[in-house]
Amino acid sequence: MAMERRMWDLLLILTAAPHSSDVVTSALRLSQAMLDRGGSVRVWACGYANMMTQDTFGDTKLPNTRDPEGHYPSPSAVVQRMIADGGGRFGWIACTACSEERGAVHHVPQVRHRSPLRLAATIAGARRTLYLGGA
Amino acid sequence: MSGSTATKRTGLGPPVLCVLDRAHRGAVEAQFFHALYGLLDLHGQFERVDVALRGPAVTLAVEEDEYRPSVRLGTMELDTLPDYRGSVRDLVAEGFTVFVDREAVTALGFAPERLVAGTVLLDSTELARRWPEYDQVWFV
Repeated sequence: MAMERRMWDLLLILTAAPHSSDVVTSALRLSQAMLDRGGSVRVWACGYANMMTQDTFGDTKLPNTRDPEGHYPSPSAVVQRMIADGGGRFGWIACTACSEERGAVHHVPQVRHRSPLRLAATIAGARRTLYLGGA
Repeated sequence: MSGSTATKRTGLGPPVLCVLDRAHRGAVEAQFFHALYGLLDLHGQFERVDVALRGPAVTLAVEEDEYRPSVRLGTMELDTLPDYRGSVRDLVAEGFTVFVDREAVTALGFAPERLVAGTVLLDSTELARRWPEYDQVWFV
């Protein structure tokens, strides 16, 4: 008998690149709104969105020369925090092909690595899929 | 964010006009590290740096008092999102001339009198006539 697959309420396929538009922020806000309603969300990072979760960031951004004492969490710290706070209802998938293509293969350990050959299966594992373009 | 740390001007580089056409290039991931921060951080290396906001970038100079640069993600209140109005005020305070394209302001439905104090509203053609005042024009 086939093992029952977990169904996620929402899958966000995120192809927008960080630092190019505010779509990454929209994806995170949308995820949070879904979590606030009790739903589950996973993000499939496609293309440069895989830069968000590199462990080379550390926990904070580089110093702000105009506010050296300020605290500015890194993108990977934000994603890690959302995964931890989500209690299993927020997940982040790194596309292995996009990551390798960009030499960006050092993801934080909370991120799940997945081949693009499993894209359709990942979509099948979600009740709704939103494709957030912008690459 | 505080704009109190004035950059020391060394003036080695040429006078430059920086033209910004694109706005809103990242929020959660960028925070303070946006194009206007770059200008504020580096302008001391140049004899003079001025800014021309055109297209959607003119919205960075539209004054308003409702938006809070803050978002809640998980248990975190991230209150360090880009504060573009504040950065434009800092540019003005640090001696930049900030030109704002009049056609773009009106085309987007904003009233010219709502711009950040000290910015200079200019017709597109008039802006082009200012180019010879600079050694270089950068499209940021």
